[in-house]
Amino acid sequence: MSSDQRQAWFARVLESGLENQIFNPTDVLAHATPDVLANHLPPELLSRVLSASLASGSMTPERVLETVTPVLMAQHLPHDVLWACIAAAVARAGINSVVS
Amino acid sequence: MNVKAFFGDALASALELGLGAPDDILRQVTADVLAHDLPRPLWARLLTACLGAPRVDAQLVVETIGVPNLCEHVPPQLIWAVLAEIAARQLGKAAEEIVPLVAAKPASGPVRVPLAPPPPETIAAPAPAAKPPAPAGPSIPAPSDKPLADLISELEAQDPPARGRAPTSQRFRQGNTGIGRPGAAQSRRPQAQASAPIASVVARGSSRRSGTEVSEAETETAVESADWRGKEIAVDDSQLVDWQADTQATDDDFSDLGGRKR
Repeated sequence: MSSDQRQAWFARVLESGLENQIFNPTDVLAHATPDVLANHLPPELLSRVLSASLASGSMTPERVLETVTPVLMAQHLPHDVLWACIAAAVARAGINSVVS
Repeated sequence: MNVKAFFGDALASALELGLGAPDDILRQVTADVLAHDLPRPLWARLLTACLGAPRVDAQLVVETIGVPNLCEHVPPQLIWAVLAEIAARQLGKAAEEIVPLVAAKPASGPVRVPLAPPPPETIAAPAPAAKPPAPAGPSIPAPSDKPLADLISELEAQDPPARGRAPTSQRFRQGNTGIGRPGAAQSRRPQAQASAPIASVVARGSSRRSGTEVSEAETETAVESADWRGKEIAVDDSQLVDWQADTQATDDDFSDLGGRKR
């Protein structure tokens, strides 16, 4: 498996989770914390995040995810972090509790 | 929140990208699971495909059923277990490390389907219930069970006509057909011109015209407006005279034919 395929999969799972409201941008940023973002996003992305927030006057999780899209997250952030977000959301949906 | 759609997307993209394989799915979604959860039409499709295929494998099964159908009908825990296994492989970890669900599974095997956890509980429950058969009565031990006896007596005490017959009356409501009884039709004749009391109907605030509302509006119309009341009386009188005349005439006619009738 190439890492491109893995990235594509995590990006798609993140997108689908947001589309299907399994989790929301706030949930994503609860795992992709500012510390994680700051340590893994490239400078240009950090700059875009800050610029977008300055232009709109606020920095919200939604706005961050508009700039740092799921594709970019899957490209730059550790997949463990993304998976933790996904797994936590599924656990909140009650899937885990049913089994355990 | 649409978990099934989410799982469908995740699983389909994993298969498309080659991160997961149909074998991964059938390792969790076993034939027993499919037999229990898959609808019969999908089973018919699957059997048809298998019968017509030179080789039956997991890919054929998954492609025939389709990922959306799998996610729709298979318990989501199993789909989640498939996804967790794929993710664990991609992250280079054991599935137990990344998903608490897998860690909570029985430690017998990593990919065993937890199909039979409930039975022990249900089997344990009926065991104490089987103890009471001590009374070896020859006949039917009728009201030894108090709650049942009380329930039966209560049911018997209730009068059967308590059940409403409203639907029956509604069934015979003649809304617009005009095929009712002749007397009723004649009494409704002045009400058919009920365009005048529109204001009262509108004031009630109901724009919908169901059969019930029409009948209510008509009765109010007949009562409220004095003009209509006067006309109604005139019509009723004339009708009464006509009816009596008709009955007499028919009596005469019957008297003529009386011999034949009797």
